Amino acid sequence: MAEKLLEIKNLKQYFNIGKANEVRAVDDISFDIYKGETLGLVGESGCGKSTTGRSIIRLYDATDGDVFYEGENVHGKKSKQELKKFNRKMQMIFQDPYASLNQRMKVMDIIAEGIDIHGLAKNQAERKKMVYDLLETVGLNKEHANRYPHEFSGGQRQRLGIARALAVDPDFIIADEPISALDVSIQAQVVNLLKELQEEKGLTFLFIAHDLSMVKYISDRIGVMYFGKLVELAPAEELYKNPLHPYTQSLLSAIPLPDPNYERNRVRKSYDPAVHDYTKADDVRMREISPGHFVQCSEREFESIKAASVIN
Amino acid sequence: MEKILQVKDLELSFNTQGGEVKAIRGVNFDLYKGETLAIVGESGSGKSVTTKSIMRLLPESSAEFKSGEILFGGRDLTKLSDKEMQKIRGKEISMIFQDPMTSLNPTMPIGRQLTEPLLKHQKISKTEAKKVAIDLLRLVGMPKPELRMKQYPHQFSGGQRQRIVIAISLACNPKILIADEPTTALDVTIQAQILELMKDLQKKIDTSIIFITHDLGVVANVADRVAVMYGGKIVEIGTVDEIFYNPQHPYTWGLLSSMPSLDTEDAKLYAIPGTPPDLLDPPKGDAFALRSEYALKIDMEQNPPFFKVSDTHSAATWLLHPDAPRVEPPLTVIERMKKFPGSRYYEGGAL
Repeated sequence: MAEKLLEIKNLKQYFNIGKANEVRAVDDISFDIYKGETLGLVGESGCGKSTTGRSIIRLYDATDGDVFYEGENVHGKKSKQELKKFNRKMQMIFQDPYASLNQRMKVMDIIAEGIDIHGLAKNQAERKKMVYDLLETVGLNKEHANRYPHEFSGGQRQRLGIARALAVDPDFIIADEPISALDVSIQAQVVNLLKELQEEKGLTFLFIAHDLSMVKYISDRIGVMYFGKLVELAPAEELYKNPLHPYTQSLLSAIPLPDPNYERNRVRKSYDPAVHDYTKADDVRMREISPGHFVQCSEREFESIKAASVIN
Repeated sequence: MEKILQVKDLELSFNTQGGEVKAIRGVNFDLYKGETLAIVGESGSGKSVTTKSIMRLLPESSAEFKSGEILFGGRDLTKLSDKEMQKIRGKEISMIFQDPMTSLNPTMPIGRQLTEPLLKHQKISKTEAKKVAIDLLRLVGMPKPELRMKQYPHQFSGGQRQRIVIAISLACNPKILIADEPTTALDVTIQAQILELMKDLQKKIDTSIIFITHDLGVVANVADRVAVMYGGKIVEIGTVDEIFYNPQHPYTWGLLSSMPSLDTEDAKLYAIPGTPPDLLDPPKGDAFALRSEYALKIDMEQNPPFFKVSDTHSAATWLLHPDAPRVEPPLTVIERMKKFPGSRYYEGGAL
């Protein structure tokens, strides 16, 4: 078994606690992220996938639950020094490459911000060299360092966002819909870049997206979220070949593929949470159906899924 | 089949401070009655500008028709006055935009927004208009339409809002519906519902749809015919099967291979190198040549004409010229071509 890099345990993130409009954005989810893997997180907007990412990296203070990074709790009271240590290991790439770069800063300073905060460069010359190297790593060149973000296209900006994340030499990167705002042909460029970087630097990714074909392509394992809960978690191939939770099935059946013949014959399944017919007595939680394949189900459902998979 | 709209040699430029941006550089296509024509391409390829010029929604201070015509019902839309155009917009041709939040007025109950085109274009009373509006909401699958007429856009979800926008656009039974990325802002499950709704409605009211998107999955789902745009021109046009199973233009090859299918293995994803051309100073020959590994010498000098592949399919690439060298398309494209009777890689069997 691969080494665990992160353990997320019973993470809860509620907003407006105690008020009438309390939102349980992330409602008691647990999973592990292994070293060097890409874990994809998919689900509809509002299902809590971005909130999960943001809670892990402590952009929100979790309502409850723990996030362990190499055995150390990320949440809870921390000194500035301790926080800095985590911030260097974990970085984030955001969805909108227009909103996530400060328009008034030059590329040099945007990328070097992390380097400055963590004091990674001994002098100006080294700082410059680090930024130039980073630009090259992401497929830009050093002439770009003196420009402002508005001088770049969407795909190039996303490369800047990636360079900024890489600046502090992190081990773990949360990519929150990093390609959703980009054109198809540019998406492929960025995804290839992320894959290359992962191989080169042994990075671990949490890849949050709603484009399921891209997620399958980039991920080793995929988690499916629905209304703040993780309903299924499985290796990427397994999830697509053998989706067990009815929500996952409905999600997969809704993806249009670039194949007219497939489209003519595609049958869409819809998901109605009422099918589970859970009672209060049911112990609904994640259960392991086959090695590495977890589904949220009750004891009763677990038995019937087990029985069905024996027949197959 | 009856041609409902003809776009002929359309050229349009934007006059900007930086100079003349040649956004549309000679676009030709016909739209038939009852069909869905999808226009695909990257941002900046001219797909939205083409449809906005049909609707005459471009700012007249900067957008300028250089040549060509847009024929609709025997009239050239590029020559109509604003007044005449207002009678067509929302009545004969209507449009659905990408973002359902910004295309609805947040300060107006949706009932009033629904009755607006009816009162404007049809001589009916307010009570009648209200009735029609409620019927429309029912038609697009909105539960309890009577109650919801008084509600404001923020009280609806994204998918519901897009249903309302569709209802408004259909209020006057338009002959043409232009949908500009109508599902891009929506989740896949909601997207599937909206696409089903649009197809269903199209059958009921027999309107023609121009569907703009960059999602090839959506194209495969909705389109009868597909036009691929690049650098302000259509580079390939054909039936949906022809474009997906027998594509001829290297740009279409690039688009089709850069999307992972659900059974793409771990191999590297094909990425079209470089960036789209600068239309301030468009390249002399084939606009895609600079990014294409299949570019021939002539591509740098002369713009390719359209070569016919079949009666319904043509592509603007020199590769189809009888004297051109025979090239092998990318592997993923050959896999597609194997399924298509009539392509040179066809391996038998039905589609």
